[in-house]
Amino acid sequence: MKGLLPLFLGVFGTFAFSWVGLTVIPNLQIGALNPQMDEEGTDIYPMPQSGMVAHGRSVYAANGCIYCHSQQVRPDYASSDIERKWGDRRSAPRDYLFDRPVLLGRERMGPDLANIGKRGMPHEEQPSPAPSAPAGSPAQAGAAAAQSPAASANPSPAASASPNPNGGPAIYSEAWHHKHLYAPRSMSPDTRDSNMPAYQFLYEKRRITGERSADALQLTGADAPSAGWEVVPTYDAKCLVAYLMSQDQSHSLKEVKSAGGAAPAAGSAPSPAASAAAQPGAAAASPAGSPAAAASPKSK
Amino acid sequence: MTPATDIPLKQPAVSATAGEAEQLERALIDASTRVPVLMFYASAMVWLLIGTLLAGFVSFKLHAPDWLSDVSFLTWGRMRPVHMNVMVYGWASMVGMGTAIWLMARLCRTTLRHPLLLVTGAWFWNIGVLVGVTAILMGYSTGYQWLEFPPYAAAILVIAYALIISWAILMFRFRRGEQIYITQWYLLGAFLWFPWLYTAAQAMLFVVPVQGVMQAAVSWWYANNLLFLWLGAIALGTAYYMIPKVIGRPVYSYHLATIGFWTYALFSSWTGMQRLVDGPFPAWMITASIAATILTIIPVTTVGLNHHMTMQGYFPVMRYSPTLRFTVFGAMAYTVFSLVGVLISLRSTARYLNFTEASVAYSHLGLYAFFTMVMFGSMYYIVPRLVGREWRYATLIKLHFWASAYGVGLMSLMLLVGGLAQGASQNDSTLPFIESIQSVLPYLRGLMIAALLLTVSHFIFAFHFGLMLFGLGRTSTVPTFLNPVEAEGSETHL
Repeated sequence: MKGLLPLFLGVFGTFAFSWVGLTVIPNLQIGALNPQMDEEGTDIYPMPQSGMVAHGRSVYAANGCIYCHSQQVRPDYASSDIERKWGDRRSAPRDYLFDRPVLLGRERMGPDLANIGKRGMPHEEQPSPAPSAPAGSPAQAGAAAAQSPAASANPSPAASASPNPNGGPAIYSEAWHHKHLYAPRSMSPDTRDSNMPAYQFLYEKRRITGERSADALQLTGADAPSAGWEVVPTYDAKCLVAYLMSQDQSHSLKEVKSAGGAAPAAGSAPSPAASAAAQPGAAAASPAGSPAAAASPKSK
Repeated sequence: MTPATDIPLKQPAVSATAGEAEQLERALIDASTRVPVLMFYASAMVWLLIGTLLAGFVSFKLHAPDWLSDVSFLTWGRMRPVHMNVMVYGWASMVGMGTAIWLMARLCRTTLRHPLLLVTGAWFWNIGVLVGVTAILMGYSTGYQWLEFPPYAAAILVIAYALIISWAILMFRFRRGEQIYITQWYLLGAFLWFPWLYTAAQAMLFVVPVQGVMQAAVSWWYANNLLFLWLGAIALGTAYYMIPKVIGRPVYSYHLATIGFWTYALFSSWTGMQRLVDGPFPAWMITASIAATILTIIPVTTVGLNHHMTMQGYFPVMRYSPTLRFTVFGAMAYTVFSLVGVLISLRSTARYLNFTEASVAYSHLGLYAFFTMVMFGSMYYIVPRLVGREWRYATLIKLHFWASAYGVGLMSLMLLVGGLAQGASQNDSTLPFIESIQSVLPYLRGLMIAALLLTVSHFIFAFHFGLMLFGLGRTSTVPTFLNPVEAEGSETHL
């Protein structure tokens, strides 16, 4: 090859092609989505996160949770994510609107956490119940079954007198997360073989002065501190758990066909981005390529 | 076939078959690159040892999750990104730049001007990696894979890189000879692609952050292109230099090389999104990347064929030349790496293997079996020409080669098969999730044997390199061969 110019042009050209093709154009397509809302401008989803939840996200990123836990539910035709009760529907770009950094994950040495907060919530307090869902729908029934042991999201372990069959805090409640982070193998037969690292550095072991702290961990066996001592979460640990409890993609999205047959929000959102995303193939189209409207035959 | 031992093996390091003027020119060029290239190599070696120890630590900690759990900076989730970043930015990038500088100087046939620029650049780069690694340990990771360094560490790397690239452009400005050799295409490409790639990713993630899932797309685009267009391009360029050089024979076909280069640039830069298969992205992005991955078969076959035809009849030289043995191993691993990449990227298999250890196998095949082995080969060629000594112990080179080859082979096998087992139980929703971890853990224990082999190999090499650095190599007019050369008359030279 002679002459530098063709080489330079080629080197720039090929890379510009890839840069525009894989980052710039997709960014035009899904890089400016708006939250979805109903006609009255209420029922907005997703909402920006702040305070402890936002700080919890940075704790999650700093300690590399992403190397073992994903935060994305894949569609039922491609994976068993929904069968595993990791979510009622597949994840869509809109779910991650305000996430920074976005923590989709690339490996699953641990279960998916996209809906871990919702799964810890008591059944009655579900933010977006699906009233018109057929009762016999298997995924819906399954989701309910997964939630039934959870009774309380109350941070105080004393308040969570729960139907957890193994004793201890209700599954995926705040108290459960704290105990699980401190002693991952102490929870139940499910976690006994877990190889999740213990995050004891997020907790403080201190001498009880006066009353036992309300947020002290209820530890048993080898993990329990000696008498007169207690283990309490640091601010980072509280934020991390607040962040985990906020993980919830159960709100229906117009562009996603819910596997459980849950009703999508009535009416169409006024945002132009929403209609762009509803184009077939644009984002998260169902396998049959059905437009979003076809996903709601059972609603209303 | 016995043409192998004719010309190339008799060549001592500092002389050449060409005329004396050319010999002198080469010696002068080598002398001018001495300080900066050794600086890059020595730094890279230190990072390699650190990264290797970290790999062992990370690998062990996976089986002892309660160990040291009250020390924040030793937690698995911080040590693992530190290991990756040390290997990618400390070892791979530095050794790659060292080799690229030397090759550029040789191929531009010009002595290296302003070596201070490069030495300063190397210092800045080291500081940048150190700052970045410290930040991750202290809990300031950005959370984007391969881009965990916080922006201030990235800024130091960019400054360092500006110093290094300004030198490369100077070098090209003063080059002699009209022809631009294949290696120079790849190196020039790598030198220009990397800053664009790095600054574009930094800008889209930190300066003018893109929204939501686009951040993941940008970071995958970055990670794959870093592997292909930065490290991969350097390694391919190096192989195109070393193989013909050692066997003393021109490259088989320039046309094939041209096709290989441009298809490589075009297709491999479009890969990456297949790792997000079925994720929350427009389906066309993923399909485009899968198609591009399949199309990388074209550069793989052309480059592989070209190397093979060049080597035809000269394969026995691998018995003697350390450089050739490492380089050919790396060039072959490039084929394996790319084919594995295609196999795990097809939509059906990607679904199956998406979240398993198979992707770790893939990056190790690329970063180690391909890139690192070619770099080892180039160091065996270049270091003697810089220090004026030959490698002291053939046994150590052999040990290094076999420990590395078996180590990376075992590692890839364990991770690939483990990934298959893991994917099988992950996708079977009748099994509890914990089963998928239990099914891969035995393979990860096997991985520790591989990690041990690689640790041994790297410490042997570091020791040998240290001997060379301190002037304790052999004083000889012939290079160190892995095995005694049987050709008649060679004894008198040895």
